[in-house]
Amino acid sequence: MAVARSRSKLVWDGLSYVVLILLAFICIAPIAWTFLTSIKVESDIVTRTMHYIPPRVTFDNYVKLWNQSSYPILVINSLIVTSVTVLICLLTGTIAAYAFSRFSFKGRTQLMLGYLVVRMFPAVLMIIPLFIVMREVGLLDSTFGLAVAYTSFLLPLFVWMLKGFFDAAPRELESAARIDGSTRLGAMFRVVIPIARNGLLATCVFVAIAAWNEFLFALMLTTSQGSRTWPVGLQLMVGEFQLPWGMLAAGGMISILPVIVLFAFVQRAMVAGITAGAVKG
Amino acid sequence: MAAVELRDVKKSFGSVKVIDRIDLVIEKGEFVAFVGPSGSGKSTLLRMIAGLETVTAGDILIDGQDVTFAEPSDRGIAMVFQSYALYPHMNVYDNIAFNLRLSRFGKPEIDARVKEAARILRLDELLARSPAQLSGGQRQRVAIGRAIVRNPKVFLFDEPLSNLDAALRVQMRLEIERLHRELGTTMIYVTHDQVEAMTLADRIVALDEGKIQQVGRPLELYARPGNQFVAGFIGSPKMNFLPGSVVSTSGASAVLSLDADRNAMFERVLDGARPGAAVTIGARPETLSVFTSAEEVSAGMLTLPARIETMERLGNITFAYLDIGAPEMITVQIMGFSELSDQQDVVLGLRPDQLHVFNASGAAMTGVANA
Repeated sequence: MAVARSRSKLVWDGLSYVVLILLAFICIAPIAWTFLTSIKVESDIVTRTMHYIPPRVTFDNYVKLWNQSSYPILVINSLIVTSVTVLICLLTGTIAAYAFSRFSFKGRTQLMLGYLVVRMFPAVLMIIPLFIVMREVGLLDSTFGLAVAYTSFLLPLFVWMLKGFFDAAPRELESAARIDGSTRLGAMFRVVIPIARNGLLATCVFVAIAAWNEFLFALMLTTSQGSRTWPVGLQLMVGEFQLPWGMLAAGGMISILPVIVLFAFVQRAMVAGITAGAVKG
Repeated sequence: MAAVELRDVKKSFGSVKVIDRIDLVIEKGEFVAFVGPSGSGKSTLLRMIAGLETVTAGDILIDGQDVTFAEPSDRGIAMVFQSYALYPHMNVYDNIAFNLRLSRFGKPEIDARVKEAARILRLDELLARSPAQLSGGQRQRVAIGRAIVRNPKVFLFDEPLSNLDAALRVQMRLEIERLHRELGTTMIYVTHDQVEAMTLADRIVALDEGKIQQVGRPLELYARPGNQFVAGFIGSPKMNFLPGSVVSTSGASAVLSLDADRNAMFERVLDGARPGAAVTIGARPETLSVFTSAEEVSAGMLTLPARIETMERLGNITFAYLDIGAPEMITVQIMGFSELSDQQDVVLGLRPDQLHVFNASGAAMTGVANA
């Protein structure tokens, strides 16, 4: 009996590993393949027989991308757009999330639902009205305009996520802070935000990554190099008669670096933030 | 001048009245306990005094000043919460110093005050620790420390001992008593535990359904409850209630009988008794006696035949639960050990002079005015 049970456990464990390894492979293989392509010589990329491991290793693609293309400008634009998006969300979303979490006012539920509804529509549907609005207010083809556009669909996510973290912070702490001499806003900054800081960080990272990787809005709302972000820039490198695989792969690798660094830095805080309130502390 | 004065204070959430016309004067240095069951409005009333809840109508005065619309921090109060409400991201020192820093006290002054509070509450060793590293009792002491550094005019306690275990609760109760003796500050204490209220308070305010039911000294409420609610709420185990009726009246005195046995009659001086009126008779468990036969019953006692449903033996005390044919069991408190056994037929003895009488609307008829 015991032997049979341990054998079936072994089989299950084995199957679990197979599935997990397969999933990990599906996730990691494209990234590994991109990296391998980025360090290949151009003539080794398009060949009759496939070279999985590069016969010759070179970093020329990276050097060329950085020195001969507009890639550095694209990255800087992306950094600006991402920072501005996070900043707008942080300034407006934090206060909004606090209000939704703490006050009961007329139309509160409807507003929260409205925020969700915005997320339900496909981005393509939003893009034409947004394009017209941006053109009218003169924010077309500007990093700030793009950041505002991103805010339109990332702010609801920010508010919903952060509201959950604020809900988890006990109200009695604010009451205590108010008796201790804080104003309502003071209690929010001195007590609630420090308690929910992991959640706040996690929410900011989610928004930052979404803004950093966004493609469709950036493609539609930017027209010149001065405001174009890296996903669009990379796509535009694909010309009619040439397809610089090596440089594209190098661009891809560089662009995921900030995401990896961001994750590495805040991984601990994010895990703590995401699971906050899950168990009684 | 009164420390706290409530004038016709009301509070409603929409159409629901939570606090209904409360008038109360609390003198300087007094320890007042608000007691009542859950939903009686006692915590809401405390939060209104603190300024954490708005007042629908009426005035709140602290030290003679109208603070009805003042910010919590401008009322000269300090509050201790049931959940301690310590700031988890600050250590004990910073928790206690938080208010002083907001009030822009100088560093030496803050340090001196925090150290003094720590000394009073024996927290000296714990100042560098974070709240997470403290036990329940220590956390509550820090919460009290945070309150005393402010030198408030009034201390507000919102069920501060409810989260502690029984032994610690007794210890902290003594500590709060000592604090009141040493500081002499006005204290308002909300609790649903009548033992805390009885032992700590100079006066008890019994609340139910947002209304004051009775205000008075603890033993006054115990001995002369103004209505059936207070009679049932104060005292543990709670008072037994038996249905009865007025048989006849002559002048101020009336003859009453118990419905369980119409022959069990007794005479009392009563307010507003009318012959034939239904009344409720209250008997505290410790005033009742259990006899094995009618011959043992002392003279002048009313008797009812009863059967013991169950016995609870606590060593120094025994509780007998008796069935007299009424819907509710009758609790009898017997000192020491008892030889009685379950399902035994017995005689329940009641002392007529110890019985409380309430009219159909629950008000005491035995001449108790609202103190």
